[in-house]
Amino acid sequence: MNTIDYILLFLVSAAVLFVFLDYRFGLLTFGGAKKKEFANSSLVSTLLGLNDSALSELLGLYKREFGPGPARYARRTLKKWKAGEVQPATQTFERFLLQLPKVMSFELKCEVLRHFMEEYAARDSYELDVSTDDWEEKLDPLVEQIIDKAFTANLPAELESKLEWLVEGDMQAARAMLRASQAAEGRLMVSMLHEEFENFERLLGEKHLKPRVTHVLEFPYGTIKLNVKRRVAKNG
Amino acid sequence: MDEERTELVPKKQSLFPISGEDIVDNALQNLDESQARKVTEKAADEMVRLAVEKKKAEYRNSAAQDEMQNLIRNANLLDQRVSDYKINSTFETASGTTNVEIKKSGARTILIAVAVGVIVLIMVVAYLGLR
Repeated sequence: MNTIDYILLFLVSAAVLFVFLDYRFGLLTFGGAKKKEFANSSLVSTLLGLNDSALSELLGLYKREFGPGPARYARRTLKKWKAGEVQPATQTFERFLLQLPKVMSFELKCEVLRHFMEEYAARDSYELDVSTDDWEEKLDPLVEQIIDKAFTANLPAELESKLEWLVEGDMQAARAMLRASQAAEGRLMVSMLHEEFENFERLLGEKHLKPRVTHVLEFPYGTIKLNVKRRVAKNG
Repeated sequence: MDEERTELVPKKQSLFPISGEDIVDNALQNLDESQARKVTEKAADEMVRLAVEKKKAEYRNSAAQDEMQNLIRNANLLDQRVSDYKINSTFETASGTTNVEIKKSGARTILIAVAVGVIVLIMVVAYLGLR
């Protein structure tokens, strides 16, 4: 074999290795951050960020469906998957996100949907300077906008085509319910803002302390950061 | 009139403008009986969850109010006794997270600033004198 044969052999081996790694772990897919966001490994990491009770139910189901051995491995590797230290194999993705949903309770599917909506639907971020006497007029339109976003927020199309069960049958109903619930939750959050601003006013009233007050409102689909100032003194 | 309409949450308005029934009605279209039952049960759970969240929010607000009063008291004490201090406090409230920063840079900071100024002035004078 001459040098060119060696180079060709090396290139072919590299190409085979690339295709294998891409198929097995979804690691080497080109296309930037957006594509990587919906890579199999990334979706498993996101799924495992479910709240404790939902995650425990999910792992119980995993054990029931795939046996104690794989369940033990999953529990052992969970933190590393979450942190991205170990990339879950395609088989792990298929088990967690394609096979388990067929046997998940409706409740657990709703929790997964809620979690994915909050992780993947677009979020808005605002920063506002308000005073204790004009906050309401400045904040009201923004709050309405963010709360209403619960009714329009969607999962990215790429994700929906990958996890079709999220948009089938009763999950559409689950989504409608989730939207109404998230909107109600947003209204509940702001329902006590009057009292909160009374507290801020009391605090800012201690002029000699010159306190700096910032308040962050976190909604499911957006965040508003407020830099709160004292009531503007008016003449007359 | 406009002011009334733009008020964020008018007093005495229900915290749940969307009722449990609305949630169920919205969600039940085009489902068979078994699916509809599951959705109805889940909607009832959501209403309970929201009621619990409301209680938690009320508790967080009340705790934050107490903590802010403590902060004012402690800051006033420090202000009387110490010339330099910095307090950074974070409170969980019903709507989010509040951060309060209170700091006082007293005589020592002014002295350091004056000293730095004098040194710079001496250096400038010395530089100009040497030219």
